[in-house]
Amino acid sequence: MNTRRLIIKAIAAMALTGVAYSAPAWAQDSFPSKDITFVVQAAAGGASDRTSRAIAAELEKDLGVSVIVENRPGATGTVAFAHVAEQPADGYTIGFGPVEFAIAEHLGYDFDRADYTYLAQVMNSPVVLAVPANSPYNTLADFIEAAKTTEMSVSNSGAASSFAATTFTLAKLTEAKLVGVPFDGGAPAVAAALGGHVNAVTAGAGETASAFADGSLKVLAIFAEEAHPAFPGVPTAKEQGYDLTFGAWGGVYGPAGIPDDVKAILEESIKKAAASQTFLDAITPAGILPVYKTGDEWKAFVDAEAARYAEVLAP
Amino acid sequence: MSALLDGVLAVFEPSVMLCLSVGVVVGMLVGMFPGITATMAVALASGFTMTLEPVQGLAVLLTIYVAANFGDRIPSILINTPGTPASIATTFDGYPMAKNGQAGLALIVSALVSAVGIVASMVLFAGAAVPLAQLALRFGPSEMFAVVVLAMTIMISISSKSITKGLLAGVIGLFIATIGRDPISGDARFTFGIRELNGGLDFIAVIIGLFGIAELLDQLLTHRNHEVKPISALGRWWPNKSEYKRIAKPTAISGLIGLVVGIIPGAGGDIAGLLGWDRAKAASSTKATFGKGNIEGVAAADTASSATLGGSLTTTMALGIPGDSVMAVMIGSMIVWGIQPGPSLFVNEPALVATITAIMVLATFITLAINLVRMPMMVKLLDMPKPYIWATVLVFCIVGTYATTNNLFTVWVMLFFGVVGLILKRCGIPAGPIVLGLILGPLAESNLRRSLLIDGPTGLIDKPISATLIGLAIIAVVAALGSPLLARRKAKRAKATLLLKTVPYRLKATPPFCVNARPLAWTAPLYLAPRVNFPRSAKTSARRSPASASTFWATSR
Repeated sequence: MNTRRLIIKAIAAMALTGVAYSAPAWAQDSFPSKDITFVVQAAAGGASDRTSRAIAAELEKDLGVSVIVENRPGATGTVAFAHVAEQPADGYTIGFGPVEFAIAEHLGYDFDRADYTYLAQVMNSPVVLAVPANSPYNTLADFIEAAKTTEMSVSNSGAASSFAATTFTLAKLTEAKLVGVPFDGGAPAVAAALGGHVNAVTAGAGETASAFADGSLKVLAIFAEEAHPAFPGVPTAKEQGYDLTFGAWGGVYGPAGIPDDVKAILEESIKKAAASQTFLDAITPAGILPVYKTGDEWKAFVDAEAARYAEVLAP
Repeated sequence: MSALLDGVLAVFEPSVMLCLSVGVVVGMLVGMFPGITATMAVALASGFTMTLEPVQGLAVLLTIYVAANFGDRIPSILINTPGTPASIATTFDGYPMAKNGQAGLALIVSALVSAVGIVASMVLFAGAAVPLAQLALRFGPSEMFAVVVLAMTIMISISSKSITKGLLAGVIGLFIATIGRDPISGDARFTFGIRELNGGLDFIAVIIGLFGIAELLDQLLTHRNHEVKPISALGRWWPNKSEYKRIAKPTAISGLIGLVVGIIPGAGGDIAGLLGWDRAKAASSTKATFGKGNIEGVAAADTASSATLGGSLTTTMALGIPGDSVMAVMIGSMIVWGIQPGPSLFVNEPALVATITAIMVLATFITLAINLVRMPMMVKLLDMPKPYIWATVLVFCIVGTYATTNNLFTVWVMLFFGVVGLILKRCGIPAGPIVLGLILGPLAESNLRRSLLIDGPTGLIDKPISATLIGLAIIAVVAALGSPLLARRKAKRAKATLLLKTVPYRLKATPPFCVNARPLAWTAPLYLAPRVNFPRSAKTSARRSPASASTFWATSR
C-alpha cells in the first residue's frame, strides 16, 4: 500500500516538475505572458504613486496582464532604482523614474543613469516661484533686483529637489543673494511662505494652486516653456528675461538591456496610457502637465538635465 | 442653516452608511496591525474611492482615519506594541495595567477617552476652524524648534527613577535619528555605504523593535509556566465612579494639548500622546504610579493623541496644508473630487464642512460601540498559551514591518532593535526617551538650521512665541532637575555623620553620567540560554519575583 502511494506521489511530483519547467518555454512566445511589476520609488499616496497607478491601470487594459504596483520608498528613490536595475531585463519589471534620475548622482548616491532602459517620459510638474500676498514684489525682476542688495530666503521641498536647484541656479546666474531653505515636503515649504517666515517659495504647481486661487500667494513666475492653465495671467520666467525651465518630471524605465521587441511593445502601450483619460484625470488636478517623450528622447533629456544639475549641485 | 442640515443628513444615506461601515472594519484592522499605519491604509483605499461620490469617498477615508485611532491602542495595551506611532504613549501605562490584570479596564478607558478626544476636537473644528488655523501659520521654523525643545524636556519625566539613564536613552534616540541624509545639505551621515540607510532608519521598524520585539524576547527568555493566568478572567471592565473622577482631569488637560499639537503642521498623535502623558503626570496627585499601570496615564495619552484628529483636520481644511501624513494623502483625493481645501471652503461650502464633521462624529460613535461590545472577545484571545501569542505577534510584526517598504532590510532593522531593546531593558534603560529622541531629533535639527538660515542666530529669541516657549523649557528643566538635586543634598547632609560607614558603598557606586554595566555583564549568560524548564534554573527564576521581574517598566525604570 505504502509503496503504491509513494510511486503515485513520485509520478505526480515528476509531472508537476515537468509542467513547472515547460511552462515558461511555451509562454515566451509573445511578450506579456505573466504579471508585470511596476516599482514606485515613493510611498503610496503621493504624486508619483498616483501617476504610476494610473499608468499601471491603463497598461493592464492594453496588455491584458496584471500590472502590480509595488511601493519601495527610501533614500530619494535610489532603493527602488537599484532594485529595478537588479531585476532581469525582460520587461516584466518596470518603474517610475522621477527627476531624481538627474539629481541623485550629484549628491553622493550610488546611482548610475546607464543602468536603465528608458521607455518614455509621461509628465512634468513645472516649478513656480511665489511670494506671500503682502510681499512688495510683483514680478520676477523686482524680486531678483531686491535680492541683489538684501538677502532673501526661499523655501523648497527638500535639499535634493529640483525646487532647491531652481533657487541655486537663479542665485548663480543673477548673483542675487537667495538662500534656499529646504523643508520636509512641498506643503510645509508653502506654509512657511504663507506665514511670512520666508520671503518666497519654489514649489510645484499643485502645491501652490489653491493658495494662488484664494489670493494668499502671488505667483511671480513659472519655470516652463509655456503658461500653466492653473495660473492664468502668470508669465513664464522666459517671458521675463530669465531663460530657465525647471520641473519635477517623470517617466517609465526598466533595467538596462530590455530586448528591442519587448521595448517596442512597452513603449507603444505607455504612449497610449499617457494619452488616456484615466491618466489625465489622475495628474491634472495636482497641477501636473502631460508631457510625452519617446524613450530615446527622454534619455537624451535626462542626460542633459544631469549635466545641468552637475554644475549647480557640484560641491 | 438648511445647508448645514443637508450636509449632516447626507451622511445618513444608505450608500454612505455602507462606506462608513467598510471604513470602520478596515480602520480597526489596520490600527491593530503593528506596522500598518492609517496613512498607508488611507493611501491604498484612495485608489478605490477615486470613482465614488465625494461624500461616499470621504466616509471611507475619514472613517479609516478614526477607526485606526481606536484600533492602534489595543496592541499597545495587550502586547506592548504600538499599532501606529500615535499610541506609543499608551504603552507606558496600558501594558503595565494589562500585566496587573486590568487589561479590560485599560481598553475600555482608552476607547472612551479616545472618543471624547475626537468629538471634542471636532466641535472645535466645526466652530472655529478658520481662526484656529491661522494659529498654525504663526509656527515657522523658529517656533517649531522652540516647541520641540519644550517637548524634549519630557525626557526627564518619562525617565522616572534614574534621570541619568533616561537622558542616556534620549541621547541614544537622538543619535539614531541622525542616521541618514542631512536634512539641509543632503550629505550622508552614519550610512556606512549601505544604500537603505540613506533614507534613515524606518521609524516604525525601530519602535516595533524597541517595544514589541524586545518585550517578546524578554518573555521568551523568562518564560515560566506557573505564570500563565487568564487575563480576561481578571479585573473589571467598566471603570467605577472614583475612576471616572480620576480620569476627568488628565482627559481635560491632555485633550487641550492634543488639539494644539494637532493644529501645528508636522506634529501629530505621537508627540501629542507623549506631551499629554507628561503634563497629566505633572498635574496628577498620583505621580509615582505613572508608568506602572496608572489609569490616568492611559486616559491622558489617548485623549491627547485622539484630539489631534480634529486639530489636523482644521489645518488641512482651513489652510490646504496637511496637518499630518494621513491628511497629506487625503488632500490628494479631495483635489481629485474637486474639493479645494482652503479658507474659502468654509465660506463657500458649509454643507461639506457639516458633512465632514458628521462623518467624523458618527464614525467615532460606531467604532466606540464596536469597541465596547467586542472588546471582551478580543481579550479572550490572550487566554491562549503564551508561546502561541508571542509567535503570532512575531509574525504580525514581521509582516507589518515588511509592508512599510516592501524591503527585507526594514525587517532586519526591526529585529536588530528588538535585540538592542532587550539589552537596554535589562540594563534598566527605558525605551520611552529613545523614541522621544527619535521623533524630536530630526524636527529639532532641521528647524533650528532652517531658522538659522532665515534669520541668523537671533531668530530664536526675537520672536515672541519661540522666546516664550524656550523660556518655559528652561523653567521645566530647572524645576525637574532642581527638585531631586535639592532633595538629594538634604539627604546627604543628614547622612554626613554616617559618611565614614558609607565609604565602601561610595566607591562601588556608579559615577554620575555613566551607565551601570554590571547588570548586563552579570546576566549575560541569560541572554544566550533561554531558561525553559531547566530544573537548575528554576530556583533562579523563582527568586525573581514575577511581578517585578516580568513587568517591563518595573525592570527598566
